[in-house]
Amino acid sequence: MTFALSKFRSFLPAATFAMAAEFLMGLSDSIICGHILGETGLSAVNLMQGVFEIVTFVGMMVTVGTSVLFATELGAMHVRRAQGYFTLGTLSAVGFGLLTAAVLAVVRTPVIAAFGASQAVSDMAASYWLWFLPAAALQPVAFFLGTMCYTDGDARLSFCSYLAQLLGNCLMSVPLTMAFGAAGCAVGTGLGSLAAIVVLLFHFRRNGCMLGWSRHFIYSDFLKISRMSFGDASKNIGKAALMFALNAYVIAHFGSEMLPVLAVVVMTIGISEMFDGVANAAQPLASVYIGEKNPLLTKRVMYAAMKASLAEGCGVMLLLLAFPGLMLSLVGIDSPATVPEARLAVRIVSTALPSLALVLLFNSYYVFIGREKLSSIMTLLAVLGLPVVLFPLFGSRWGAHGVWTALGLAPALALVLVALYVLARGGRRGFPFLMPTDREAALRVFDLELDPASICGASASVGAHLGAQGVERRRASKAALLVEEALMVVHDRNSGKNIKAEVTVDLNDGLMLVIRDDGVIFDITDVDARVSSLRSYLVSELMTAIPSRRNLTTTGFNRNVFKL
Amino acid sequence: MTIAVNGRVDTVTAPELEAGLKFGDATCVVIDLANVPYMSSAGLRLLLSAHKTMLGKGGELQIANVQESVREVLDITGFSDILNLV
Repeated sequence: MTFALSKFRSFLPAATFAMAAEFLMGLSDSIICGHILGETGLSAVNLMQGVFEIVTFVGMMVTVGTSVLFATELGAMHVRRAQGYFTLGTLSAVGFGLLTAAVLAVVRTPVIAAFGASQAVSDMAASYWLWFLPAAALQPVAFFLGTMCYTDGDARLSFCSYLAQLLGNCLMSVPLTMAFGAAGCAVGTGLGSLAAIVVLLFHFRRNGCMLGWSRHFIYSDFLKISRMSFGDASKNIGKAALMFALNAYVIAHFGSEMLPVLAVVVMTIGISEMFDGVANAAQPLASVYIGEKNPLLTKRVMYAAMKASLAEGCGVMLLLLAFPGLMLSLVGIDSPATVPEARLAVRIVSTALPSLALVLLFNSYYVFIGREKLSSIMTLLAVLGLPVVLFPLFGSRWGAHGVWTALGLAPALALVLVALYVLARGGRRGFPFLMPTDREAALRVFDLELDPASICGASASVGAHLGAQGVERRRASKAALLVEEALMVVHDRNSGKNIKAEVTVDLNDGLMLVIRDDGVIFDITDVDARVSSLRSYLVSELMTAIPSRRNLTTTGFNRNVFKL
Repeated sequence: MTIAVNGRVDTVTAPELEAGLKFGDATCVVIDLANVPYMSSAGLRLLLSAHKTMLGKGGELQIANVQESVREVLDITGFSDILNLV
């Protein structure tokens, strides 16, 4: 398995769990209120789905742009710029969190009244909303720090923070809901976010932590962060608008008694949040490769991400087609009047999941490559534009079944429309990644697991490749020597471990070598490093002879760049 | 006595070469590197070891026909000042 794929796969479980935890966190309040407070509690929390989406949107408005720009700047070896983005992102996350809480406090009463739900549901929603305000301020900060920590290569701590948030939320919410009703549940959610932030602060004590403070930012950076983030976060604002529209439509046409079914439908669509874990797993690597202007490796990561997205989407769809009752039992729906309709609704809506998985992946990917508008248009089409057009249309013809069918169909339709657009713009060669293909011919990647034979093989291949490309023998030989000696030092430093490495030869702007490995973090370019063998002496002398060299720990692995 | 070496001398091939370097009673040994386009630190260690062996028994080791790419490695490490390049 190649270095890029092994890194992607190592990020995938933590990223998927993080998103699953986030989904479960959104769900946990529905589950807790549904089981403890009954269908009224479930309906009240479901009215809040739009608010949850807005809070997530606010967190993402800062996070996605910052993490992409941070990794891309590190990819281009601009550490101070990267840290400038992190500083700006942190300030924005705190500021936006407080602002969101303030705005939600002001609009609480009129928005709940506008739903027109029954008095019992409205009262419970109002109580929940009030006590959710601290969580609304904390969640963007927790989400921001979690993503940045993960982007900086600390997937394990990021995973732990989500676990702390989920467990903290559940452990606190259950007794608090039993004691204080919906308000207690909201307080538990805030305590969970606080627990996550505390866990994430440990990342700053980690060796190789690149997150740091720098005043190296300007006002326009904020706009850049927001523009990029909006592309990715548009799905949340789209979903928030859809939730408000769906709630209002369903209450008006089918009455409050259809709200529990709608809650299950919303939850089924909400599962797609987990699929964002694939894009999150791809993001640190893809952004670094984009920063290095390496379409070859960017595409390699994204193809793997596409396969993973489809596998997750199809897997969950098949599971729900076979066992729709899983969703119902999660929230405690068991009344005979609701169960048949809810089961059918889950089955219909689950068919949207594979398309939604791809929509979410490309929503993030188009942001990575700076196509924020395309990203926003595709996502808003899939989660808002087409559903809002289709569900009243289908609903007026086929009733509630028509509404669910519209929701199941919209993402696939959006995907087809965007695919046709991308094909028209980028042609078949550029499909679906829209990356410039002119740099690929001058790029070559060598992947290896470190042992003397594979290292010498890679060194010989690099030399032969450069010779075939017309590079003078002296430089080709120096590059080959650098590959062998540097990787043998890495091999010796990690004796007994299975270490993967990746060597990129880039002839686009002169001769550049990028050597990555996932061994212990150390700076091989340091000419003052201790010399303990003839090999380390030669490496030290080679480094002196190559003035254009950089070492940067990137997303948790060694990355060395040499211009020969 | 002349020993002609062919091909790359790297971490994997150096032990093979080392096994073949038998100087016997020769007092002057020439290692011909005309067909060696590449040499890493493993090859340097071998040359240094051979040089010390020959010095130890009062003989001489000469390195002949060094290609430019290998010469650069010898220069970078200062080995061109230690070894007898001809």
